[in-house]
Amino acid sequence: MIQLSYLDYLAVERNSFFHRLSPEVKIIGMIFVLLAIVVLKSLFGFFLLYGILLTFFFLSRIPFRIFSLTLYPLIFAVLFIFISSFQIHFILLIFLKVLCGSIGVVLLLATTPYPLIFSTLGRVLPSPFVTALFLTYRSIFILLNILEETQHALYLRGGFQWRHPWRSLINISNAFGHLIIKGIDASEKMNESLMLRGFKNKIYYRGRS
Amino acid sequence: MSHIHLPDGVLPVWLWASGYIVAILVGAILFRWIKKEELTRRFPLLGMMSAIMVLGAAVEIVPIAYHVNLTVISGILLGPSLIFLATLVVNLILALFGHGGMTVIGLNTLILSIEGILGYYLFHLFYRVLKKVAPVTFGATFIALLISTLAMIGVVSLGTSHYKELMHHQEGGIFKFHLSQEEEEQHEGERMEGEVNLRRFVSIILPLGFIGWLLEGLITTLIGRYIYRLRPDLLNLEKEIS
Repeated sequence: MIQLSYLDYLAVERNSFFHRLSPEVKIIGMIFVLLAIVVLKSLFGFFLLYGILLTFFFLSRIPFRIFSLTLYPLIFAVLFIFISSFQIHFILLIFLKVLCGSIGVVLLLATTPYPLIFSTLGRVLPSPFVTALFLTYRSIFILLNILEETQHALYLRGGFQWRHPWRSLINISNAFGHLIIKGIDASEKMNESLMLRGFKNKIYYRGRS
Repeated sequence: MSHIHLPDGVLPVWLWASGYIVAILVGAILFRWIKKEELTRRFPLLGMMSAIMVLGAAVEIVPIAYHVNLTVISGILLGPSLIFLATLVVNLILALFGHGGMTVIGLNTLILSIEGILGYYLFHLFYRVLKKVAPVTFGATFIALLISTLAMIGVVSLGTSHYKELMHHQEGGIFKFHLSQEEEEQHEGERMEGEVNLRRFVSIILPLGFIGWLLEGLITTLIGRYIYRLRPDLLNLEKEIS
């Protein structure tokens, strides 16, 4: 999640063919990738799709360190292997479905600033949902800043150590508790400033300046 | 653990499509209940609690592939109507980061909101009896997680016939190999063994889940206690006391 700000930075600062494409085209492309993931059943098809997405990934000049993000969902796919009695074909199919989905999403997020994604979604989805999505995304960055400050306090209280599980659990819970209280304080301030600006359950995006 | 981490294309279309339809219907009903002014006032809080759930999901407990959901504590703070919208937002953001596919967002929203809504009602119900925040929070979280995990297992088991289809799908094109008669017989035997093994899936999920429910129960209890000490007003316990 810490990579989120870096993804945003890449989406705004980098300049490639994919960055210049309109968000509508990229979102429609992502829908087609999802459709392919649902419809395709052959390994060849998935290898082909993954190869194409991989080529797009490297053509869009996204740094290689971001590539590790696309592998992260495999952790969860591993659990599902147990259902299949360890059949290689099934496992490969699941892994490729996961990888195609994740590389598509990372490609979208690393080449499109999030306000543009949300404003595009706002044309088809109900505005309260898009507003909630926008405020959540904004809040993640506020909380990451608070978390950074909290980390020092957490470190001074012993942080997380496997040798002291109970103390570690208390430290983590207190950190989350602190995060929630600070977050609620910040949300109250946010509410006041939104009210002053005449907020009516919808956030308007003025586009790229 | 209590929501589906399946990628897209694993669950049958009828199942995830029904998940979306039911989630939209439930969302529309709950949305009608909330007053517009209240929604406007609580939007930033909704965003903040959703963000906390997203951050909680980013903290991975590696050996058991578990992450805390913090849905129960969010449910207690947001109330049953807003937690539904919050879980929908959280699931969309988590799907963007690979915690389950985009197609399972509807189902995941239903499962996670069961956790949040149930957690909220159990917390208030238990508090009326026990009047102590720590055991009440633990009990509410543990039961809510248990029920939502069972709901998740139920949903996964509904797709059994589709998994069989995926497992036994014959390859075409470049990957179509011509096997000798002997090899075909051998593979037939393997195929009989390679049936969908839901029992194994459940036997792995439940013990891991149990550790997870305990951990999340403890973490939520300690968070609840922390909030109770500093800002008891946030827990809305006044009406239970009076």
